[in-house]
Amino acid sequence: MKILVVDDDNALREMVGIVLDNAGYQSVFCPDGAQAMAVFEEEKPDLVLLDVMLPGEDGVSVCKKIRAVSGIPIIMLTARGETEDVVNGLEAGADDYIVKPFQPNELTARVKARLRPISGSEASVITVGPLVLDVQGHEVKRGEQVISLTPLEFKLLYTLASKPNLVFSREMLLDQVWEYDYKADTRLVNVHVQRLRAKVEDDPDNPKIVTTVRGIGYRAGSG
Amino acid sequence: MTVLLSAIATFTLGGFMSYTLADGLYESRLETALEDTSSAVNTVNRTLSGAAVSDETTLQTLLNSLVPTLEEAGSRKVALLRSPGQPQLQLLQSPVSADLDFQLIPDELRDAVRQGGNQLSYQAVELSSDQSTSPGLIVGAPVDVPLAGQFELYLVFDFFESQLTLDYVQQVLTIGGLILLAIIGVVSYFVTRRLVKPVLKAVEVSEEFAKGDLDRRVSEKGEDAVSTLARSLNRMARSLQQQIDQLDQLSKMQQRFVSDVSHELRTPMTTIKLAGEVIFAKRDDLDPSLRRSAELLHDQISRFEQLLADLLEISRYDAKAVTPDIESVDLNGIVGRAIASIEPLAMNRETEIQIDIPSGSVDVELDPNRIERLLRNLLANAVEHGLGKPVRISVASDGHASAVTVSDQGDGMDQEQMDRVFDRFWRADPARQRSVGGTGLGLAIAMEDALLHNGWLEVASEKNKGTTFRLTLPVKTGYRLTDSPLPMQSTEELA
Repeated sequence: MKILVVDDDNALREMVGIVLDNAGYQSVFCPDGAQAMAVFEEEKPDLVLLDVMLPGEDGVSVCKKIRAVSGIPIIMLTARGETEDVVNGLEAGADDYIVKPFQPNELTARVKARLRPISGSEASVITVGPLVLDVQGHEVKRGEQVISLTPLEFKLLYTLASKPNLVFSREMLLDQVWEYDYKADTRLVNVHVQRLRAKVEDDPDNPKIVTTVRGIGYRAGSG
Repeated sequence: MTVLLSAIATFTLGGFMSYTLADGLYESRLETALEDTSSAVNTVNRTLSGAAVSDETTLQTLLNSLVPTLEEAGSRKVALLRSPGQPQLQLLQSPVSADLDFQLIPDELRDAVRQGGNQLSYQAVELSSDQSTSPGLIVGAPVDVPLAGQFELYLVFDFFESQLTLDYVQQVLTIGGLILLAIIGVVSYFVTRRLVKPVLKAVEVSEEFAKGDLDRRVSEKGEDAVSTLARSLNRMARSLQQQIDQLDQLSKMQQRFVSDVSHELRTPMTTIKLAGEVIFAKRDDLDPSLRRSAELLHDQISRFEQLLADLLEISRYDAKAVTPDIESVDLNGIVGRAIASIEPLAMNRETEIQIDIPSGSVDVELDPNRIERLLRNLLANAVEHGLGKPVRISVASDGHASAVTVSDQGDGMDQEQMDRVFDRFWRADPARQRSVGGTGLGLAIAMEDALLHNGWLEVASEKNKGTTFRLTLPVKTGYRLTDSPLPMQSTEELA
C-alpha cells in the first residue's frame, strides 16, 4: 500500500514516513501544494495524507483536485481549533481528518480504517430503493447506469443498506464506517451523508434513499 | 428666576414713579390752590371794601353774589361762612355754592382758619359725589365783612380730573410694566435657551460617550465658554477613541500572535511527539539508561504538550478570543465522562470516587467540552490532594441554577492559600512532589471557563480536613445566578 504524504515540514514528513513504514506502508512525499497533483498522477498512491496549510496551493484546493479525478481516501492534517479548515476540507471531499499533534497509533489507526476492505458481508448484492449494490465489485447501479462512489461513500451506503430496518445514530456510523471507538466529530457524518445524497438521490433536498430520522440519525429507505 | 427679579425691579420702579408723580401733582395743585385762594381773598376784600354797604339786605345780596364769581365749574366750590359767636346782624346768612355740603368742612380746619390770622389754612379731604369719591382740598382764610364781623372764606378744590390723570398715568405705567416684564421674560427665555441649549447638547453627547458611542461630536461653533467645553469634550472623545483603537490593535496582535505561535509550535510538536512515541514503543530493545531516557522523554512530551495547550487556552482568554459552543446537554452525562477519564488516576492512587447525582437528566445550556475539562480538573486535583481518602462529587439543580461540588478529605488549605488557589502557576505547596504533573494553569482556566458561562467557581477549605470546589451554572445561558442549589459542603459531612 502506497501513501502520499503532502506536508511542507521536512522533519514531520520524514517522521510520518517512519511511522507509516513501521506500520508496513510504503510512503511517497511531496513538500508543496502546487506539485501535489503531479506527484499524485505519477505515484498513483492508495491514500493521501494532506496538510491544510501548504505553500504553493492550500490543502483544501489540492483535495478538490484529487477528488475530481479519483475517489481514493484522503485524510487531512489540521491544527486544532481551526474549525473552518475542517469543514472546508470535508466539503472538498476529504474522508477524515487528524488534529496535530497526534499519536503514531492514532495516525496508523485512521489510515488502516480507510484502507480496510469491507468485511463480514454474507450477501454479494444488496438493493436499496432503485439502487443495486455489488458488494464485492464496489459498484452501485441505478438500472444500467453505474454511479461512481468513493470507497467511503460506498461503505456508508452499504452500512445503512445492509440493515434497512435499523436507524443509525451518527455515533454508530462514526464507529462502523470511520472506525472511531471514541466520541468524534459528528460533522464527518453530516457532510458525507450530504455528499452521498448528491450522488444517489433524484432530489437531494427530498431524499428517498438515505433518509433523516429526526433526533436520532439516518436509515436506508423510508421504512 | 430672571423674570421674578425683573418683576420686582419693574414694580419697584413703577411704584416709585407713580408715587413721585402723584406727589408732584399734588404739590403743584396745592400751590395753585393756595394762589387761587389768596387771589379770591383779595377779590372778596376788594369787593367788600369798594362797595357801599348800608344795611343787612344789601350786605346779604353782596355776599350772595360774591360766591358764584369765585366758583369754577366742576372743580372749585366756594363757601363763605360766618364765624360763630358774632354779635351783630344775627339774621345774616352764610352763602355757599349750590351743591356744596358745608358740613364737609371739618371743624379742625375752621378752628385753624379762625386762629390763623391772615394765614391760609388747608386740609385734604375726600369728596364724594353720586357715583364716586375723589380727592379734594379745602383752603380757608378769614375775611372781615363790614357790619357783620368775621367770615371765613373756604374754597373747595375738586381734584377729580387730576385723579383721572393720575389714574391714567398709573394705568399706563402698569401696562407698560407688564409689557416690559413680558419682553424681559421672552428675551431672557431666548437668551437662556441660546446659552443652555449647547450645554444640554454637550450633556447629551457626553452621555452617549459614557455609553460607549465615541463617534458622536458636539458642535464647536462660537468662541464662548460653551464652545470651549464642546472642543474639550470632542478632544477627550478623540483621545479615548485613539486609545481604544490602540488597545484593539494590541488585542488583535495578541490574538494573531497566539494563533501564529500555536501553529508554529504545533508542527515541531507533532514531529517530537511521533519520534518520542516511536522510541518509547521500542524501549524494551534499549539498554536500561536509554530505556529510562525514552520513558522520561515520553512523559515530559505529554506534559509539555498539555502545558502548551493550557498556555494557548489562557492566551485566548486574555485576548478575549474565546466563544463557547453552547448546547443543551445532560450535566450528569458530562460528570460521568469526567469521572471515567479520571478513573485510571483514581485507581492508581487507590482513591474511591463517591457519586451523588440526581436521577433523571439535568439539562443545562453549556459548552460540554469546557465543562468536562473543568470537572476533570477539579477531580484530578481532589484525587491528587486527597491522600487516598474518598473523593465525593455531587450534582443538583433547582431549575434555575445547577451545581457540581467536588470534595476531598486531604491536606486542605488556609485562607491565604485559598485566596491564591486560582492564580496562574500557583501551587499549594511548592515543595510537594509533582507526581500528577499538572501545568499549574488548570484552576485558572477552570475559573475562566466558569466565568465564560456566567457561572461561579468557589472554594471552601479547612487545613487538614479537606477542600470543596463548587461550580454553579445557570441552567439557561440568559439566567443570572442568585444562589447555588448545593451548599458549600463542610468537610465533616463527608465521612
